[in-house]
Amino acid sequence: MSKAVQVRFGGFGGQGIVLAGLLLGRAASFDSKFVAGSNSYGAQARGSACRSEVIISEDPIDFPHVTIPDILVVMSQRAYELFSRQLARGGLIFYDSQFISPRRRRGVVEVSATGMALQDIGDKRVANVILLAAVVATTGIVSQEALLRAIDESVKDRHLEFNKKAAALGFGYKGVLP
Amino acid sequence: MVRAMEQYLRPGIPTTPFCPGCGHGILLGLILRAIHGLDIDMREMLFVSGIGCAAWIPSPHFNADTLHTTHGRAIAFATGAKLYNPKLRVMVISGDGDLFSIGGNHLIHAARRDIDLKVICANNMIYGMTGGQVASTTPRGFTTSTTPLGNPDRPFDLCKLVEAAGGRYVARYSVTQPLALMESIKKALFLEGFSFIEVLSPCVPQFGSKNLMESAPKIIEWLMEKCIPREKAEGLSREELNGKIITGEWGDV
Amino acid sequence: MAWKRIKASLPPGRHYFSGNEAVAEGAISAGCRFYAGYPITPSSEIMERMAHRLGQTGGVFVQMEDELSSISAVTGASWAGAKAMTATSGPGFSLMMEGIGYAAFTETPCVIVDIQRAGPSTGQATRVGSGDIMQAKWGSHGDYQIIVLSPWSVQEMYEQTIQAFNLAERYRVPTFLMGEEAVGHLRENLEIEPWVRVFDRKKATGRPPFEAKSPRQIPPMPSFGEGERLLVTGSTHDGLGIRRTDDPKVHARLIERINDKILLNKPTIVDVDGFFLDDARVAVLCYGFTARSSLSAVKGLREEGYRVGFMRLKTLWPFPHENVGELSERVERIFVPEMNRGQVGGEAMKSSQCEIISFCQTNGEVIRPEVIRKELMRLL
Repeated sequence: MSKAVQVRFGGFGGQGIVLAGLLLGRAASFDSKFVAGSNSYGAQARGSACRSEVIISEDPIDFPHVTIPDILVVMSQRAYELFSRQLARGGLIFYDSQFISPRRRRGVVEVSATGMALQDIGDKRVANVILLAAVVATTGIVSQEALLRAIDESVKDRHLEFNKKAAALGFGYKGVLP
Repeated sequence: MVRAMEQYLRPGIPTTPFCPGCGHGILLGLILRAIHGLDIDMREMLFVSGIGCAAWIPSPHFNADTLHTTHGRAIAFATGAKLYNPKLRVMVISGDGDLFSIGGNHLIHAARRDIDLKVICANNMIYGMTGGQVASTTPRGFTTSTTPLGNPDRPFDLCKLVEAAGGRYVARYSVTQPLALMESIKKALFLEGFSFIEVLSPCVPQFGSKNLMESAPKIIEWLMEKCIPREKAEGLSREELNGKIITGEWGDV
Repeated sequence: MAWKRIKASLPPGRHYFSGNEAVAEGAISAGCRFYAGYPITPSSEIMERMAHRLGQTGGVFVQMEDELSSISAVTGASWAGAKAMTATSGPGFSLMMEGIGYAAFTETPCVIVDIQRAGPSTGQATRVGSGDIMQAKWGSHGDYQIIVLSPWSVQEMYEQTIQAFNLAERYRVPTFLMGEEAVGHLRENLEIEPWVRVFDRKKATGRPPFEAKSPRQIPPMPSFGEGERLLVTGSTHDGLGIRRTDDPKVHARLIERINDKILLNKPTIVDVDGFFLDDARVAVLCYGFTARSSLSAVKGLREEGYRVGFMRLKTLWPFPHENVGELSERVERIFVPEMNRGQVGGEAMKSSQCEIISFCQTNGEVIRPEVIRKELMRLL
C-alpha cells in the first residue's frame, strides 16, 4: 500500500456505522499504520443518517478527514444515494443487500450482511461486523488478526462471542472483485 | 478568656469593619468560642466565604486558612477543597444574598451531596454592602432601596429549603440567642455531613433605618420579640405564629 | 528544580484514541487528581474518561451543578494542593469566565480545556468553530494574563495537556487547551513515551504567597492545611493576601506583576512551528485543526513549485507577536485561515510589517485543504 486509503461508512444510527469505523481504525493502528478516523456527530442517536470515516496510510496524515473515498461501505439506500457519486476512480462500494439496490454495476460488491446476521447468528446488530470483515477479506486493507484484536478491545465482553462469529462469517464471504 | 481568644485572631488585623449595631461581630466571636470550646486547632480549619459583609467575618480576621471567593460560589470552592483534602475542617460563612440568591443552586446541591461542610448563613434580610436592596430573605412588606413601596414577595424559609435538599443538621438562631447559637455551632462542627445554621443578624444602617428601627437596640428588640423557640411554637396557633421566626434545630439533632 | 519524571498513564507504544480521550490521558499522566465539570457537547468525553480514570488512580471526580461551580471547585481543590482541571465548550466556557478571573487574580494553577463549537450562544452544539480565542484571553473583566495552547492532533491533545499542567504549575496561572470539536472527536494514533516530564508548583513556608523578588519570578504556593494560615482573596491584596482595596499602589503593583510574570517569560512559554519558510513569498499563519488543512494545501502547492510557507501557532496566548513580526519581514503577505471572524488575523496585524489576509469561515464546518489552496492560488 503506497498511498493512503480512504474509507467511508454510511447508514443510519443504530446500525453500528461508528463502531465499524472504530474497529477498522483500531485494526489499522495494530497493523502499525497511520490512521485518522472521524464520524458524523449529532444529538440524535438512533435512526438518523450516520457516517464514519477512516484514512489508513503508511505515512503521517496531513488532513485527517476523507476527501475522496476509495472504499464506500453502505448500509442504507439513503447513504448509497448520498455517497456513491463521490468515489475515487477504481473505487469500490460494499453494500448490504438487505437495504440497498444499487443503480451502478461497476465496482460494487454485494454482501448480504443483515441477511446473514439474522439467519446465521440471529441478531441483526452484527451486520456491521459481517460487512466490515467482508471488506477486510476482499481488500486486505487491514489484517484479519488485527480486526479480531480490535473487536477484542472494543466490544463489551458479553457481546464478544457473537461479534467474533460475525467476523468469521464475513471473512468467509470474500466478495468477487469486479 | 479574652486573652485566650486572641490566638484565634490573625495578628496585625486591628479592627473589624462592621458597622455599629451589626450582629456579625457577635457571630464572629461565637464561632471562635465554639472552636475554642471544642479545642480545635485552627490550622485544621479552612474558612470559605463569598461576597458581602458576612464574608468578611473569617477573612481576614480568623487565624486559619481562609478563602474569600466570588459572589455566591463559596460553597463550590469549599466543595473542591474538601473533596480533595478531606482532612480539612471546612466552614463556609456568608450572607443570605450570597448563599441563597446568587449561590442558591450550589447550596442545595452541596446539601444533596451531603458534603461535610459547616455552612453558616448570617441573615440580615437585606443586601447590606451594596446599599440596602431587597433580598430573597426580606420579609413581605418591608422597605428596601429597591422596594420603596414595600417588598411584594415572600421570603425563603432557609432552614426548610436546606432540610428539603438533604441537609444533615439544620438550625436557626438569632445573635440575640448567643448561648444556644454557640452550642449549635459546636454541634455543626462535631457532626459529620452537611450542616447549616441560619443566624439572624441585625443590620442597622440598611435594614433597620429603612424600616423604622434606626438604632441597634430597636432592631435587637424587634428580633427578640420576633424569634420564638421551636418548643414554644409547637403549642401555638397559626394566628399566634404569624410573623414569628421559629428558632431551633431540625434534622439530625 | 520542581521538574520530575513520572511514568505515563498508559503503556508505552502506539494507541488509537480520540482527541478528547487523549486529553484525559494527558491529564492523568501530568498528575491531575481532581476534576470538576458539567456535561456539555462536544467536550463530555473528557469528563467521562476522567470519571473512569480518576477512580482508578485515587483522584477525585465530581460532576457539579454548572460551570460556575466547576471552575470554582477546581480553584478550591488547587489551593488544597491538587493538580486540577475542568473541560467545557461554548456556553459553559462563557459561564466559567467569572471563576477564571478569580483564578488568574489569585494566581491559582489550573487547566481549562475548551473544545470549541460553533457559537455564539447555543449555536451549532455539535459543529466545529474556533470562536473562543479572544474570549479565552479577554473573557473575564480586568487586566490579567493567561496561557492558551492550540493542539492540532490527537497526539498534541495528549502532549499539550501535560504541557498545560506544567505551565499552570510553573507560572501559577490558569492555562487553557483550546481544542476544536474536529480534533476532540478525531481518532488518531497516539504514541505514548514511557516517561513524562512534569512540573510541580514550588512551595515554601513563611514566605508571602503573592509577592516575588523580581517581576519574572513566581511566588511559592503553599496549600491549605499546611499550617500557613493562608489568606486567599479575589479582592486586591498585598503579598500576604490581606485585602487592600483602597490602595492605588498595591493594586497597580499587583496588576503589573500578574501581567509581567507571563509576558516577561514569553520566550520560555511561546512555541511555534514552521515549514517551507526560507524562500516563501506568502506564508500561511494557522493554528488548531485548520493547520492540518493548511499543511496539506501548502505541501501540495510546494510540490508544484509555489513559494508558500507555513507557520503554526502552538501557543496562542501570550500571543507570539515576536514570531509573527519576524515572519512578516521575510514574506510579502501572510494568509490567516480561521473558523471565526478573524480573531487571530486581527491580533497578528498588531505586529505584522506586511499585509495580513484573513480568511474566515463560520459555517460550522472545517476549512478544507482545497479551499485554502484556492485562496492561496489567488495570492501567488
